[in-house]
Amino acid sequence: MIGHLRTWPIVLALSILSAPLVLMYAYLFIDTVTNSPPRSFIPNEFTLEHWSFLWETRPGRPSIWRVTLNSLLFATSTSALVIVVSSMAGYVLSRLNVPGRAYFLAGVMVLHAFPAITLIVAIFLVLQVVGLYNTLIGVILVKAAIDMPLGIWLMKGFYDTVPWEIEMAGIQDGASRFTVWRKLVLPQVKPGIFALGLFAFLLGWGEFILPQVLAPSGNAQVLSVYLAGLIADDNNFDMNLFKSVGLFYMMPVLILFFFFQNRLMNIYGGGSKG
Amino acid sequence: MTTRLLRTTAAAVLLAAGAGAASAESVTISVWAGGSGPNDNYRVDAIEMAADILEREAAIRGEELDITVEKKLDNTWDDFKQAVTLAAEAGNAPNILVTGHEDIAPWAQSGLIVPVEDYLNLDAWPINDIYENLMEISSFGGIQYGLPQDAESRPFFFWKEHMRAIGYTDEELDALPESVESGEYTLANVLEDAKKMVDQGVVEAGYGFYPRQSNGPDFWQFYTSFGGIMEEDGKLVLDKAAMQDFYQFFVDAVEAGVTRKNHIGTPGDQWYAEVASGKAGIWHGGTWHYARYVNQEGLEDFFGTLVFSLIPAGEGGRPNTLTHPLVYVVTDQADDDLELIAAELVKIASEPRINTLHAIKSAHLGIAHQQSNIDLYANDRWAREATERLLPHANAMPNNADFGTYWNAMWSGLEAAWTGQKTPEQAVNDVEAELKNSLGEAIIIR
Amino acid sequence: MNASRNIAEPARAPVGAWAAPARVRLGWLNSSKGLGILLLMPALVLVVLFFLMPVVLTGVFAFTNMSTATGITGGAYQISPGALRVLTDRHGMGDLAERLGQPTYVVDDRGLAALEEMGIDPGIIAGLRRQYSGETYSSRREFERDIRNLPVRPDTRTVKRISEVFSRSLGNARFRSSTALIAAADAIDPDLTEEEKEALTATTYTGWTWTNDNFRRLATSRDTTRVFFNTLFFVAMTLTLFNVGYAMLLAITTHYIPERPAGIFRIIWFLPRISPVVIYVLLWKWLAWDTGFISAVLSNFGVRPRNWMLDTAANAWFFVILINGFVGASMGMVIFASAIKAIPESLFHAASVDGAYRWQQIRHIILPQLKWPILFVTCYQTLSLLTSIDQTLLATDGGPGGATEIWSLWVYHTALNNYAGNLQYGLGAAMALVLVVIGIVLSLIYLRLFNYNALVAKPRIEL
Repeated sequence: MIGHLRTWPIVLALSILSAPLVLMYAYLFIDTVTNSPPRSFIPNEFTLEHWSFLWETRPGRPSIWRVTLNSLLFATSTSALVIVVSSMAGYVLSRLNVPGRAYFLAGVMVLHAFPAITLIVAIFLVLQVVGLYNTLIGVILVKAAIDMPLGIWLMKGFYDTVPWEIEMAGIQDGASRFTVWRKLVLPQVKPGIFALGLFAFLLGWGEFILPQVLAPSGNAQVLSVYLAGLIADDNNFDMNLFKSVGLFYMMPVLILFFFFQNRLMNIYGGGSKG
Repeated sequence: MTTRLLRTTAAAVLLAAGAGAASAESVTISVWAGGSGPNDNYRVDAIEMAADILEREAAIRGEELDITVEKKLDNTWDDFKQAVTLAAEAGNAPNILVTGHEDIAPWAQSGLIVPVEDYLNLDAWPINDIYENLMEISSFGGIQYGLPQDAESRPFFFWKEHMRAIGYTDEELDALPESVESGEYTLANVLEDAKKMVDQGVVEAGYGFYPRQSNGPDFWQFYTSFGGIMEEDGKLVLDKAAMQDFYQFFVDAVEAGVTRKNHIGTPGDQWYAEVASGKAGIWHGGTWHYARYVNQEGLEDFFGTLVFSLIPAGEGGRPNTLTHPLVYVVTDQADDDLELIAAELVKIASEPRINTLHAIKSAHLGIAHQQSNIDLYANDRWAREATERLLPHANAMPNNADFGTYWNAMWSGLEAAWTGQKTPEQAVNDVEAELKNSLGEAIIIR
Repeated sequence: MNASRNIAEPARAPVGAWAAPARVRLGWLNSSKGLGILLLMPALVLVVLFFLMPVVLTGVFAFTNMSTATGITGGAYQISPGALRVLTDRHGMGDLAERLGQPTYVVDDRGLAALEEMGIDPGIIAGLRRQYSGETYSSRREFERDIRNLPVRPDTRTVKRISEVFSRSLGNARFRSSTALIAAADAIDPDLTEEEKEALTATTYTGWTWTNDNFRRLATSRDTTRVFFNTLFFVAMTLTLFNVGYAMLLAITTHYIPERPAGIFRIIWFLPRISPVVIYVLLWKWLAWDTGFISAVLSNFGVRPRNWMLDTAANAWFFVILINGFVGASMGMVIFASAIKAIPESLFHAASVDGAYRWQQIRHIILPQLKWPILFVTCYQTLSLLTSIDQTLLATDGGPGGATEIWSLWVYHTALNNYAGNLQYGLGAAMALVLVVIGIVLSLIYLRLFNYNALVAKPRIEL
């Protein structure tokens, strides 16, 4: 380590700075299984009552399982779509000689900076024309389109690291360029595809505003919209319930993060909305 | 030919065909209600009850009609209106909507809703029993677009104990509603009393006068209290002096320390809990607050704890209250048959007995004369007293396609003045500029 | 159905056999160009559908007065009282308005003949002829009352059809096209001038029309200035304090502590980014709400509980920047940390490990290395922050009193989400267009800045 002297003041300072975050996330767990007296944050009883939303559908709201299934469908489909589209387009931008390639790549960069939310009225109209408003498929397409520029960009980066020799060898053996891509190059970027898929899944899982506007109905509702609806309802303010739903919602994220933190950090370092 | 005629004809043909073949018809009718809490379930349940009756009527006529009702209560207004508008644009609006009457104008213009008078006999029961003024509030341009779903009005509340603490006797408290009505007790007195409460430590600072914490029709009452009018001969009116006095009132309240500067945006649940537990001295709410205080917030002796009255007069105005009836409206559908069935359901749901369930459960007021002959309604002290004391003085917001713009401007002006970002004068000037800019000749400014 | 499927299936080549003939049939796939276009297709479709078309549409909407009342997909022609008022006030055609708009129902032979054609019960027609022939009504309701008084009482639907046939005015009638409107108007008043027809068509149209008003309103509205400066403040503060400043602090400090605690801190600071935004903001609310953590802790010291997040404009800004900043910091942290890691150890070893030198190391070794990453994060996050909406929407929704209303949120409130339900798509689109233009201009500048050409090295296989 460089500068091994006196690291503890730094650790201390960082601990203090991190305290609010740690506190918030610690209580995300604690409050879901305990009750605390009013105006106090020291729990005085253990309870599972806050989790009753799992087996009792709340009046006027869709079943949590239905919503979870929707979220799962939404996130996995978005992720799959982003993978397919980006691994195809990324390869073109990295390797193939297509007219207007430079412009497309520049376009991808510009698109990435696009204020998708401000275009939402127009996006709504497009969905409506193709008959996909208030459907899961509609939001999946929109979300995938919005994540796609980043996906293409990342995939181009992964392809760039694949040695040219692999393709040269394939071509010399008489394989078509399609076969070369499919059989030789794709396996090389598997880790990249996996990381991108994970990343797109998490983006989809957390997405709120798109489903809120484009698919608000009970049949297509996802967890973020469900939870936001619970919180917005000023007739049933129940922080412990919100947190329990929240923790339930966040579980897959935490599990994925636990196993794949390094890959995720790398890909986020590569850039994303924030 | 007019589309209205086409629609009626098509509906008639369809129904005739259906009746002739005596075939089984299975339809799904969806009904969405905005701004509805757990006490408001009869807004949509009434449609389900009506469907049952309509099915039985059809069966007696020898037709088979099977109606599935899909119900949805939405707690908010902004998300509800967004969802409804976009769904309608996409061509799959719910069949029946329960919404504020002021939505009729823009939604009628855009063709989102169809007039119920194209399907219903307005001279037949139960429509002929509905209060005339409510029928008018649910019409636009002389056409009956909707039927009133409920009525209400928005009173001032006084916490008796706190009023006694600053020197009111029980007799004076009993007479308070009358002295408000006669214009003797004004908004100036409200500030005075609120200040006494705060100064004497009866309530905490900022809790003397504890108004609604979010945007709502309520605030137009203060504009009216200071002599403002919202519409004249079908044209919107901005009375600058009244608007400024109304803003000034809230600024004065903040400066006197009786209202919090940061009051707007207080979470709704917190607000209800506080007023129902005596943290505030004077505030304003709606008739439905009765249900919330008693059913949800645990206020036991409502009449022993609170006095309610009209909104006191301001300078140059009169005491008043505002009624903001929700209405049932029927949306435009590709299948005209559905519009007809929806209109029939809305009609049946307006039966006094069915409507009374909603009125009493949610502490709204009835829509029809005969409701006072229904025991459930007649025996309810709140419905009776609130009707007598408030309804005769009730105004309503105008049904005008541009009113939403006016409303948003009024609210952003109030917010800016209340939170101290602009003086009331600046705020009113900005509202004027904004309205001139956006509405042009459609608004009279004086 | 089934049969045809059975026949069709054998005709399709088995999956395994597909590869071989494909090479022959799709020979063009073997060229770089052909394959490239094919592989780009899905991306292009998505781009066209969800970027290009929306941008074009937004550009179009921006020049319309589209709103809830006008609808998006076009309008009809309705002779509403409002339209008649405009006809009177603006065009001075009060007479015309009177003639067309006054509801009139005349029981005449023409109508009776029409009823016969419609196949209405002859008893009803006879009754109408006998009792009401020649009568004129100025109210639909009264006329329908009389129809119901006929000896053969028609049902409600028939009553509606009958009254419609005898209507001799256009009051409140709604037409799908202007030709239908003019035809109907002509039938009532054959002497309409061209000018009158034009005015009638224009004033009764319920749909949207072209206008420059949105930009004029934006240019003159005082809200524009306020929201503009809000946005500037928001982006500048979040960016400098957190996305760059705090991120750098985290990257550098974690560089100087052992790997294990460093990793833990990085994970902690990464949580805000991976948490779904609804939960993340909920946690902040728990912290800052009147019944929340801060209030509870401070109440022990006699501080009155309050909603710390919405208490004052300053508080709201504090939380909005913190909420956005904590998310934003992680990206810079990861990028800066990897840039620091890339610095050769030897550079550090050259310097002493003394505390005073640590600062020197940062200044002379680390910071110069971070120049490009900082520039990149700045550029990237400026665009992200300009368009970010979720966190602020869920936390303060622009409050209190519009204090934290930023541009993107303003667009959302104007075009889609407000209490009165007055969705102004046209105005919202004009606002959005401003952001679109800023976004494009900034990213083009950035592309130049980062030497874009270096990124697109020519393919080495020209096939």
